[in-house]
Amino acid sequence: MRIMAYEALDFYDVDSLLTEEERMVRDMVRDWVDEEVIPKIEIACREGVFPDEWRVALGEMGVLGAPLKGYDCPGLSYTAYGVICRELERGDSGLRSFASVQGSLAMYPIWDFGSEEQKNKYLPKMASGDWIGCFGLTEPDYGSNPGDMITKAEDMGDHYLLNGAKMWITNGTIAELAIVWAKLDGVIRGFIVEKNDPGFSAPEMKGKHSLKASVTSELVFQDCKIPKDRILPGVKGLRGPFSCLNNARYGISWGALGSAQACFDSAKDYAMSRIQFDHPIASYQLVQNKLSWMLREITKGQLLAYHLGQKKDSGDWIPEHISLAKMNNVDIALEIARVARDIHGANGILDEYPIMRHMANLESVKTYEGTHDIHNLILGRYITGIQAFTRGA
Amino acid sequence: MNISVLLKQVPDTTAKISISNGKVDEDSVSKWSMSPYDEYALEAGLQLKEATGGNLIAITCGPERTKKMLTDAAAVGADTLVHIPIEGVKDNTHVQKLLAAAVERFDSSVILCGKQAADTNGGSTGPGVAELIGAACVTLVSEVNFSDGKFTTIRPSNSGIEKVMVDGLSVFAFDKGSSELRRPNVRGIMMAKKKPIESISSDDLGVALDSSSLIINSQSPPPEKPAGQKFEGAEHVGEVVLKLRNEANVI
Amino acid sequence: MGFTVIAEANGDSLHPTTYQLIGAAASMGSNPTVICPNGTGAEEAATINGVEKVISVNGDCFNIFDGGAWASSLSSLCGDIILISASPNGREIGSRIAAKKDIPVIQDVTSMTEGITVSRPIYSGKAMESLTVTGSAVITLRPNSFEAALAENNAPINVVDQSADVKISIQEAINKASERLDVTEADIIISGGRGMGTIENFSHLEEIADTIGAAVGASRAVVDEWGMPHRMQVGQTGKTVTPSLYIAVGISGAIQHLAGMRSSKYILAINKDPDAPIFGVADYGIVASWEDAIPSLKSALSELQS
Repeated sequence: MRIMAYEALDFYDVDSLLTEEERMVRDMVRDWVDEEVIPKIEIACREGVFPDEWRVALGEMGVLGAPLKGYDCPGLSYTAYGVICRELERGDSGLRSFASVQGSLAMYPIWDFGSEEQKNKYLPKMASGDWIGCFGLTEPDYGSNPGDMITKAEDMGDHYLLNGAKMWITNGTIAELAIVWAKLDGVIRGFIVEKNDPGFSAPEMKGKHSLKASVTSELVFQDCKIPKDRILPGVKGLRGPFSCLNNARYGISWGALGSAQACFDSAKDYAMSRIQFDHPIASYQLVQNKLSWMLREITKGQLLAYHLGQKKDSGDWIPEHISLAKMNNVDIALEIARVARDIHGANGILDEYPIMRHMANLESVKTYEGTHDIHNLILGRYITGIQAFTRGA
Repeated sequence: MNISVLLKQVPDTTAKISISNGKVDEDSVSKWSMSPYDEYALEAGLQLKEATGGNLIAITCGPERTKKMLTDAAAVGADTLVHIPIEGVKDNTHVQKLLAAAVERFDSSVILCGKQAADTNGGSTGPGVAELIGAACVTLVSEVNFSDGKFTTIRPSNSGIEKVMVDGLSVFAFDKGSSELRRPNVRGIMMAKKKPIESISSDDLGVALDSSSLIINSQSPPPEKPAGQKFEGAEHVGEVVLKLRNEANVI
Repeated sequence: MGFTVIAEANGDSLHPTTYQLIGAAASMGSNPTVICPNGTGAEEAATINGVEKVISVNGDCFNIFDGGAWASSLSSLCGDIILISASPNGREIGSRIAAKKDIPVIQDVTSMTEGITVSRPIYSGKAMESLTVTGSAVITLRPNSFEAALAENNAPINVVDQSADVKISIQEAINKASERLDVTEADIIISGGRGMGTIENFSHLEEIADTIGAAVGASRAVVDEWGMPHRMQVGQTGKTVTPSLYIAVGISGAIQHLAGMRSSKYILAINKDPDAPIFGVADYGIVASWEDAIPSLKSALSELQS
């Protein structure tokens, strides 16, 4: 029996637009986060571990690879996928990152660009959470500019040989497989690398102040030999990784709202209970101004995310739509976390409250999956037709 | 084997209850949920179904909104969903008669329910339905098992707990069960969406609902608590304990 | 309207609630008939003021509690208005007698006046309901809500034999020391904070908890610094609890702790610092050290039990 059911801020009743199925999925994840994640997340964060029980539970609930159809995958709507991300991220951005990487960055490329054999071999056990995947695109020297990556694949006749390194890879150390993007004869291709392939290692990156309850790794390829059947046949060039990233970014536009709602909830509760000068601080105008601003931004963000979900489900979308939502919702979520910390006063720095964990997490969320500034320029290019990413032509 | 589980939808136990015009304002309830003790009964029913290969029938009496609760029950494994529509607050004797008729219509081998609903806090439904169908009833149970053709259950006793065996048809009314209600999963949710809900009216059940001999005069907020009282010194402890009994009525 | 009281036993004598049921009937201007299942307490019932007669019912069915059998046996002996204690057994018997007689049952009533108008808590005490009974009914009364009748009477006792079919049997009785309740399940919680001095002193709180069937909780300071189990922690990073009564001993009432117990129905705070923030939320505050207050609390509560 639940003690305190969470009621999300939903000022414009956006959730009333969900289908019955989407609502039931929401409630299933929400209840699980309340019962299994929130009580344990602060310890997980302190210790810097991603609890394996969460992988198992996500698999059992059947939410991994949410919008993918067939091959034992859930086959839910994109809206449902967004709702799942939001509910997970109310718990922690690291938890939602696990699901985003598994579903959008590791399962999706196999589903869209893989051979039938690859789909049948990998997708069912990834949907069940048995096999974890990760996504190797970013390199130590190539982040916002993935096109100039130096990780290379060579065709050796009966196998491919991979050399290079990837960095900032969520799930890397605990993954059974990695979708690795490397240049084969100068063209970016996707390869499925399994953890026991010779010449492959995935050391964990330590010392993070953000996404601490998430595993972040390097992927190192030193004459890594992989069989020929591991190449993803269906795509060449950056379209491959970018298709994956679009899906993950879409999920993040919902996810960030979960984090924002958690911070708003805590700030409101705190402001109502904290008494200074004989009155709750919620009675002071500057505090009300902050809470009111949060309400506005969360409400706008919800409408953005929901409508984007409808466009994703109808097929009527372009990547720039996703850039706008990801950029906006993460930006406001980070600001909300900061302002929420301010409302909590000194108490806000303790892990008694979720605030600074969300705040630190959102610094990563603002940077990964396309930095805030990159999405800004994507929209700038859309408006003007002129790319402003590089100094070149 | 037909396992009937009686479910009631109530305002979520964490929701604020607001009163207007001398009545609890149901329209302002933000969240409706399955009554907590009914969840234990449903879980026990699902475990019985798995052990015996039976058919789980989820039955509720209530307005249109209660159908969502039946779909939620389907998402965790209920096979048959039965909705008996009624509007407004009804005398519990009416509800008992409707449920008893439904339970008999589905030829139930066993009936499970929660010990009391979280809104009315009555606890009359389980034993009342049992009386109407001529069955035994065991209340405050934490689990139910079936072996060698008989149902056994665990209930509290004066010195601990006791295992009780029942002869024939019985209602089991659950206190906190030994298992929490299982979580649904996406597959269950997607199948539940397609599961039809059978709507059976009081006429269909052959139950005449005569007017009640009970008049609900009003519903009101609980009496105002007196302002906080502070006492200097341990010599006041006895006085405070008496206040806890007589003023606050909490011990 | 004829009132019938179905007596509740406590071992071989009457439970105090029986005196309250009779007092309640008397306050309505009635001289109730008291029914004693298995004859338990029949002689005692005959001494209670207001009782017109006692019916002592013999039957094998009373050897074990099968609500259906008890109701079957007793139902025909009852009058129009039947009062029973709102104990678990009372509520079950009451429901069955009501269904058998096709009359309503009103459970857990806390007040009763002419009409017959009763009121009872609903939504776990978040609201009160007032009802009027226009015909026959079974009414179960919440223990300790009605004034007990005195005992200076000498009513007649009729003995009847009336058994019924029992449909259940006890397979196994398992005696067990009752496990202490978890803070999330208990209706009464007694919690200790840094003011308790040492972890060993919690044994005093445990004794009180055992006396009144409460759970024992702890503030975060005590969990972090003295190693109390985390499941006992009440507060922001511990459990949020909503008991009917929360007793905070040696707890200052920092905002993180309040977050966990603020919604308790009633709060009793015991702290030697008169300015402790906990007094701001307490319904009853006692400014005293735990060493002074706890022994008095223990004896006052034990006295109440007997």
